[in-house]
This record gives sequence, C-alpha cells and structure tokens, in this order.
Amino acid sequence: MSDQAPRTSVIVTALGADKHGLLAAVATTIAAANANVDDVSQTVTGGMFTMIMFVSFASGETTMAALREALVETGLKIGLQITVQHEDIFRYMHRI
Amino acid sequence: MVFITNEEILETVRMIQDENLDVRAVTMGISLNDCASRDVGRVCQRVHDKIVARAGRLVSAALEIQEKYGVPIVNRRVSITPIAGVLAAGGPEAFVAVAHALDAAAAEIGIDFVGGFSALVQKGFTARDTALIQAIPQAIAETQRVCSSVNVASTRAGINMDAVTRMADVLVDVSQRTADRDSIGCAKIVIFCNVPEDSPFMAGALHGSGEPEVSINVGISGPGVIRNVVARHPELPFTDLADLIKRTTFKITRVGELVAREAAQMLDAQMGIIDLSLAPSPAIGDSVAEILEAMGLARTGAPGTTAALAMLNDAVKKGGLMATSSTGGLSGAFIPVSEDAGMVRAAAEGVLSIEKLEAMTAVCSLGLDMIVVPGDTTRDALAGTIADVMAIGMINSKTTGARLIPAAGKAAGDWVELGGLFGAAPVMPLSLAGNSAFIARGGRIPAPLQSLNN
Repeated sequence: MSDQAPRTSVIVTALGADKHGLLAAVATTIAAANANVDDVSQTVTGGMFTMIMFVSFASGETTMAALREALVETGLKIGLQITVQHEDIFRYMHRI
Repeated sequence: MVFITNEEILETVRMIQDENLDVRAVTMGISLNDCASRDVGRVCQRVHDKIVARAGRLVSAALEIQEKYGVPIVNRRVSITPIAGVLAAGGPEAFVAVAHALDAAAAEIGIDFVGGFSALVQKGFTARDTALIQAIPQAIAETQRVCSSVNVASTRAGINMDAVTRMADVLVDVSQRTADRDSIGCAKIVIFCNVPEDSPFMAGALHGSGEPEVSINVGISGPGVIRNVVARHPELPFTDLADLIKRTTFKITRVGELVAREAAQMLDAQMGIIDLSLAPSPAIGDSVAEILEAMGLARTGAPGTTAALAMLNDAVKKGGLMATSSTGGLSGAFIPVSEDAGMVRAAAEGVLSIEKLEAMTAVCSLGLDMIVVPGDTTRDALAGTIADVMAIGMINSKTTGARLIPAAGKAAGDWVELGGLFGAAPVMPLSLAGNSAFIARGGRIPAPLQSLNN
C-alpha cells in the first residue's frame, strides 16, 4: 500500500445471521480487491453478526465500484447484507 | 480518519436501508435569459441546446454521488427561467412549440421533469404572460416532462383574482384534455402565492430572476426516519420530542448539504440551496402523516393535527438551519394527499377533509397539494379554493400553492390512479355552496398591511 497517493477512505458494514468464517470471508474479499483494512470491530448479539470496517485504498489500487461489487457478491454467498460508503457521509451527518 | 462511533455508523446505515432516507431531488437551475428571441424557432433551438449542454451530465453525476455515499438520489430535474419572459413574441402556439423543445431536451438528458413553463402575474399580465397561460393546457397535455407554475399572488402585491380565475379555467381544460389518464395533467400545474425562486421540488420549480447562471438545489427527504424516532418515544413531552426531531433533521439535512456541494462541483454550477422539506412518497414508511400519527393521533385529521404539524414543521426547520447555511426553496413539511400513504388512508376513511388540509396549510409549506376533487367541480369552486390557499400565503408572508386535480368523470369517493411518485388517491368532496358572484368581481385583492414592512 502506497503512502504517497491520496487515499480514499470508505466504511464497510456487514449485517446478518452469525456463522463461522464471516469476518475472514469479508477481509479476504477486501484484500483480493487490493484495498486495506485500517480498523475493524465486530459483535455478535443474539445470533446477529454486525461488523464495521474502515477500509482505504490509493487511487489506482481499486475503485469504490469494484470494491462494492466484490463485497456484495461475497455477501450474497455468505448471507450478509454489506454496504460500502465513503466516510464523508458519516462525517457530515454526525460531526459539524 | 475521523473518529465516528459504531452507533453513529449503524444509525446512518439503518436510516438509508430501513427508513427510506434519500435525497428527493437534485435540481439544476438554468438561466435561459440568453436564449430570448422574438423568433420561436430560434428560442426552441437555443433552449434545447443550453439545457442539454449544461445538464447533460446531471443524471450521471447524481448516479456517481449515489454510489459514492450509498444514499439514493430519487429524482434529477431541471428548473428554468420562467419561460414567459424568454419567448419575446408569438401566440400560445409558439409557447406550445417551446414546451415541446423543453420536453425533448428533458428526454434527451434522461431527467423526469423540467419546471419553469411559468409566469409571475401577481400584479397583472403582460402580453407574454397571457399567451403563456393560454398555452398551458395544450402544452401540458401534449408533453410528458414539462411542469408549469403560475404565481398569482404575493404578500407585496395581493391576489390577482383574474389570474386565479384564468388558472381555474386552465385546470378545467387540462382535466378534460387528459381525461383518459385520470386528468393527470393537473398534477403538473402549481398555482402559487409567494413562489420561491430556487425550489428543487416539482411541479413548482423555476429558476428566478435573482439566481445565478447555473445552480444546484437539493431537496431532502426522510419522513420515515423522523417517524421512527417519534414512534420510539411514545411518552416523551413535546419539548423533548421537538429536540429529538431537530437532532434527526440535522443529520438528514447534512446529507443534502454534502450532495449539493459535490454535485455543484462536479457540474460546474453554483451551490444553490438545501430545501428543508420533509417530502413524502407513496411508499409505506415514507409518510408525513405517519409522523403525526406516531405523535399520538389515531389518524391525520384528528383534533390536534394542525398543532402536531406546526410543531413538526418548526422542529424540522430549526434542525436543518444548524446543518446548512444555504436554506431556501419551500422548506417545510409537505402535505400532499396522493403522494403520502398516510394522508391517502385518512382521506379515504373520511377523517381528513379538504377544510382540515386548508388549516394545516397555514402552518407548513405548500398548501392544498395533490388533492383530487370531483370532475364536475365548477370553475368558480376551483377558483374560490385557490383564492383561499393564496390568502393564507399572502397574510402569513409565506409560500402557499394549490395543486388540485379535478378528475374528469369521477365523483367523490371514487379512486384515482396517478401513477409513480404521484400515487393514488380518493376523490375528496368540495363544498357545493355557490360563490359565482364572488368570483365574478375580478380585480385584485389588495396587498395586506404585512406588505408595508419597510
């Protein structure tokens, strides 16, 4: 991963029924798409799996569209609803 | 990386995924002043070319923003300089030709509506205004994407009752011309008092005379989000409830601000305004009426409805004001009937009447909006109803509008399908008491005392 090129930061959320290997599957997809996981938190409450990942990539490494396509495909396979959104929407909504 | 809590992230995701949070409209305002000519062919060509040149990338830019932030942008639209001032000569048929040019340009760039087939006649008619108003029925009946609005009243000028009557005639005419489609043409005509010159919402959007060359105006949405916040706190006193609504509206408005900034930059346009309106859609869970019902009213229309709406409308504005410095447009809760599933239900059950809606008009934005009335409603009854709505706007120094649909061949209690975002609605009864002698007076209801505030 390059420290020079401007990086795009996105937030990936994944929600669904818990089972083995969910975090690994999502992380593997992100790595295969050439993006980096900067931070991750994951909880399971009442059998419900909730994961939030801070993901970034440099221009040229991948695009949001490619990352989303790969993650949604993975989500369909393992039963997770996955969203990929630029971090600015969260910053705008929750911070002045 | 900005620190954002997990709860905040999941709240945003829930608002979008489960509560219908979206941006209702990204509307590009385009000045057509430089398209003016006495030659109709030249005007048609210039208007078409300018809209395509400036808004050609509007749809793709909106899609790009939608993908980036994961928030749906429901409508992409264009508002233009009121067309009465752009075509400098020619009769109604010339204006109809311009409407077709607008329709073709809108189709070419893939937008659903272009607004501004408009005139401002609150104080009187120019020859251009007269020709334009005569052209509205044919123009609306023959085009798909053209929206028309006419400002017939203002706090400064009073109510031009001759214009009110002419617009009632227009509604009757359009109702007949589009009778085979439940008179849907009338859904694309708004009659205004104090028309905003920067609204992103159709059918009443136009690009006013004080506006820049090209601007981006954004209409927010999110009734479902507010409804759920209210429903989660069934016993909260109003002071605290208002605070919760403010906090939630802040977040919704920030999304609009983000989208407006980005769209303006991408499209080389000036960022215009964020319209702080809670705009419902016919989808379940996207209803302003359901917010009022979540406050504790069994149905919208129950005693307390006007108070509930006043509180909601005020809290929405206060929350939105903190979120953007670029407020404008209509900025208030919308109460259209056919476009709001909760309003439709209340109207169908007979709990919500046109008279109650008129009272609600006094405390929120727009007015008697998307209300279907019997097809045999007289011109004078329509004119009287329009005048009532204009009076509320004039006296309260606020925008009011009337979008009434006399559905040809339909009687009170019948059902009308308007389709898409226009929704469906029952035909609501209007008072049958006569008012012809009142309407026949004509002239102008003078500007009220409120006009002298200098």
